[in-house]
Amino acid sequence: MIQFISHYTEQISYLKSIELALEGGCRWIQLRMKKATADEIREVAKPALKLCRKYGATFILDDHVELVKELGADGVHLGKNDMPIEEARKVLGPDCIIGGTANTFEDVKAHWEHGASYIGCGPFRFTTTKEGLSPILGLEGYQQIVAQMKAEGIDLPIVAIGGITAEDIPDIMATGVTGIALSGTVLRAENPVEEMKRLIQLI
Amino acid sequence: MSVHIKINREEKVTEAETIQQLAQELALPERGVALAVNNRIITRSTWEETPLHEGDDVTIIKAAFGG
Repeated sequence: MIQFISHYTEQISYLKSIELALEGGCRWIQLRMKKATADEIREVAKPALKLCRKYGATFILDDHVELVKELGADGVHLGKNDMPIEEARKVLGPDCIIGGTANTFEDVKAHWEHGASYIGCGPFRFTTTKEGLSPILGLEGYQQIVAQMKAEGIDLPIVAIGGITAEDIPDIMATGVTGIALSGTVLRAENPVEEMKRLIQLI
Repeated sequence: MSVHIKINREEKVTEAETIQQLAQELALPERGVALAVNNRIITRSTWEETPLHEGDDVTIIKAAFGG
């Protein structure tokens, strides 16, 4: 499965990026607006959620646990510097999707123990989208983490993230991860809707 | 007739014929679930009409996994 993480370019707004991803067939959207205020996020999240409902897509917010219930989103994705998963699970209760960023198997295991719903695992390679990155994983990193998860019976879905392009997808999926998170690569394409369709075919 | 499928990489045998029946069998909640078959997300409104096949690879992202 593909998770699309909202992004913007000079021509494409956050909301438009989500609309293009949905039109291209993506059914899992994360609204990420780093450095935006809660009000700015609300303004985009409300119409974005409406679009996701129209397409039957899952809609999660980056970081902002406090907005999940207010807006009626399906869940939240928490990075390493966001609220701890354990705490978010207490705030949101059992009915919300909570994703956690992991860089190592130890992170994965801790997230699993603390009640995460899925893991965003990366970065695959160096990317300019996110600041303050952890060491890159590459294909081998995913192979190792997936094998360790299997060995310890951790059956959480795991989504690869970080600078992934269409060419990487078959190899990354072959490591045993369950999905790919994409952002910039879709919007940089000449026709983002067609690009999303093409990417979904590759999964 | 039962089919052999994988749910989050674990092998399972089920009598369910559709995704909806599988969801009932697994007691999936009404909210906070995303489900994919062979890596394609299946929206809830089509669970009922989506058949389950031998060898299907099902991924379920649900709220509380309980580790």
